[in-house]
Amino acid sequence: MIGLGHFLVLGALLFCIGLYGALTKRNAVAVLMSIELMLNAVNINLVAFSRYLTPDYIAGQVFAVFTIIVAAAEVAVGLAIVIAIYRDRLSVELDDFDWLKW
Amino acid sequence: MSDAVFTVAFYVFSAVTVLAALGVVLKKNLVHSALLLILAFVGVAGIYVLLQADFIAAVQILVYAGAVAILVAFGVMLTKRGDIRESNLANRQKWPALFVVAGVFAVIYALLGQTNWGPLAAAGPEDSVGILATLMLTDFVVPFETAAILLTVAMLGAIVIAKEVKNSK
Amino acid sequence: MNIDYSLLTIEMLTAGLALGLLVLSLVVPGDQRKGFGYLTAAGLAIIFAISFAFNGVNKEIIGGMYLIDDFGNFFKQLALVAGVLVALASIPYVEKLESYRGEYYSLLVFATLGMVVMVGAGDLISLYLGLELMTITFFVLTAFKRGDSKSAEAGIKYVLLGAMSSAILLYGLSMLYGVAKTTVISELVSTIQAGQISPALILGLMFLVGGFGFKISAVPFHMWSPDVYEGAPTPVTSYLAVGSKAAAFAAFVRIFMGGMPQIQEIWIALFAGLSALSMIIGNLIAIPQTNIKRMLAFSGVAQAGYILTGMVAGTNAGIKGLAFYLMIYVFATIGAFTVAIGFSNATGSDEIKDMAGLSQRNPLMAAVMLVCLLSMAGIPPLAGFAGKLFLFSAIVAQGKLWLALVGLIMSMVSVYYYLSVAKSMYMGEAADPSPIEIPGSLKLVLIVSMVVTIFLGIYPAPLTGLAEAAASVFALK
Repeated sequence: MIGLGHFLVLGALLFCIGLYGALTKRNAVAVLMSIELMLNAVNINLVAFSRYLTPDYIAGQVFAVFTIIVAAAEVAVGLAIVIAIYRDRLSVELDDFDWLKW
Repeated sequence: MSDAVFTVAFYVFSAVTVLAALGVVLKKNLVHSALLLILAFVGVAGIYVLLQADFIAAVQILVYAGAVAILVAFGVMLTKRGDIRESNLANRQKWPALFVVAGVFAVIYALLGQTNWGPLAAAGPEDSVGILATLMLTDFVVPFETAAILLTVAMLGAIVIAKEVKNSK
Repeated sequence: MNIDYSLLTIEMLTAGLALGLLVLSLVVPGDQRKGFGYLTAAGLAIIFAISFAFNGVNKEIIGGMYLIDDFGNFFKQLALVAGVLVALASIPYVEKLESYRGEYYSLLVFATLGMVVMVGAGDLISLYLGLELMTITFFVLTAFKRGDSKSAEAGIKYVLLGAMSSAILLYGLSMLYGVAKTTVISELVSTIQAGQISPALILGLMFLVGGFGFKISAVPFHMWSPDVYEGAPTPVTSYLAVGSKAAAFAAFVRIFMGGMPQIQEIWIALFAGLSALSMIIGNLIAIPQTNIKRMLAFSGVAQAGYILTGMVAGTNAGIKGLAFYLMIYVFATIGAFTVAIGFSNATGSDEIKDMAGLSQRNPLMAAVMLVCLLSMAGIPPLAGFAGKLFLFSAIVAQGKLWLALVGLIMSMVSVYYYLSVAKSMYMGEAADPSPIEIPGSLKLVLIVSMVVTIFLGIYPAPLTGLAEAAASVFALK
């Protein structure tokens, strides 16, 4: 029988995969993609809690909708900055960005 | 939905999500990563359907697939110099990062495993879209309006930053 | 459902100002946008004045989803007054921009709105949205210097690390929701019982502290701040340093003091560690810095450590100290950064060694820098001394003498690098002794920062009263 615990473990797995990508990827776009995986993991948690713990007042689902909105905004701004820096350096590899001391 | 079908569906969607996500972070070609990311999002949408969150599932596909389509386009465009097959490499922190992440997962798994969440509901709401709509426009009206402003800011910011700088001076 | 919208006056006026500026910047032709800075400052100043009508108003909207209380109002006033000063300090920077002058000020006000929503939020969702509105606006502002490599690089570092920390924070918030089964902060008190702390709550707390630690740039989550501070346009840096930090602290206090005072001993241990580490490492790394913005960034890390002691105390006296210190930190920090703005505007340099002989080139700038730095170091009779006195006496009253001692010793260490800047300004020989001229708007900011820092040091009573009212919102010992 699949229960709340299964969904939470799935969320934890996805979160950790995203975290690994965010920590190791050299390409800025790839880091943004990994962060999206982390946000999806959080949404699985929120929707699962909402389904199993507060089925009558689904604040978790509301929270998930807002998280998706924020993620979209973050990606828009993040990509804009990626484009700006590509125009400047002709690269989106994070290892190349060493003008400031990281 | 019977228990057996539910169980099978859960494992199928989970496997799709996790394998696709692993592909996103492990593939060396950025285009492959981006395509697998879409697959991972679709898998998550399936999970939402199982959790009786129909609206979120629809939003997941609409918004994320849209956002990802753009990500793919830009990812390809921005790495067009050099070899696309080597466009998404890992940095030198691969092993330390793996160690850290494995630790984080172990901690999360151990702590969640010991948690007693209290009584669990047998079923979700019948009409989750209706409840969601009411909640967003009544109790959660302040974040709703803030989100509207946030999207305005994101649009404005993206234009300001990404627009070409004139080389007049 | 009836909502008394008049309670949301500050929020609506701020949003209106930001949108108005956005529309105006489309209508007004490019060469006639010089007045935007003054317009923004005046608009925020008027909202600041109106906010005093809400002193003493303590009401909930929509069953505690949004709170209008003295605590929120104190931090709204902080965000607004900092916004006024930053708008004025931005004027010479914005004049050098080729385009998007109006949009810059509009974004500045949007960032203020994010802080206002964040400190008034009574539930986790509003808090998160306010936080993200503020953070995403700062992403844009950090990368605003178009065609400037450092600004773009700071922008990308801030976006990636900021988004990652938001995801971590969000994971913590999701756990909190799961454990408490509600997103309303005031309901956490009854749903989280002291006796039976669930392991998931511990997990949530760890992620929350990590995410928030990033926002206030506490050690070990501070790595982003020196790079972003150095690369961002300096007026943006000053707002980031004070506004973003203060709003994050306010949200911190709301969740932990307002929602979980019953499990104090757990999070106090976490904060005590963060606080001590931040004070020690921030001050020690600040010593060898040669760039004034990087030096102020590390000093900001140390300041976050001092302010965290207010949380460690876990009492009303601690919150009072925290609120008081954050408010005076606004003036000291903006004063110091504004000197840096004026200096780099005239000479193009942010290096401390280039500031040698500043006292002959522009006595006002040197004096303001000296007063602001000494206030941060906590030298009497400046305002920083009163602030540290409140904070440290609050933790000593709770028997945490060791943390107060760490704070005292590290304050003495900080005097060393603050004074070495002063020594360079007053004793050093200028390579180019020509006087530095600064625009009137900067002069105004400098004089206000200096006067407030000195005045509140000698006579802190007016601000103490406000801080005490803010702290009294929380029913602690």
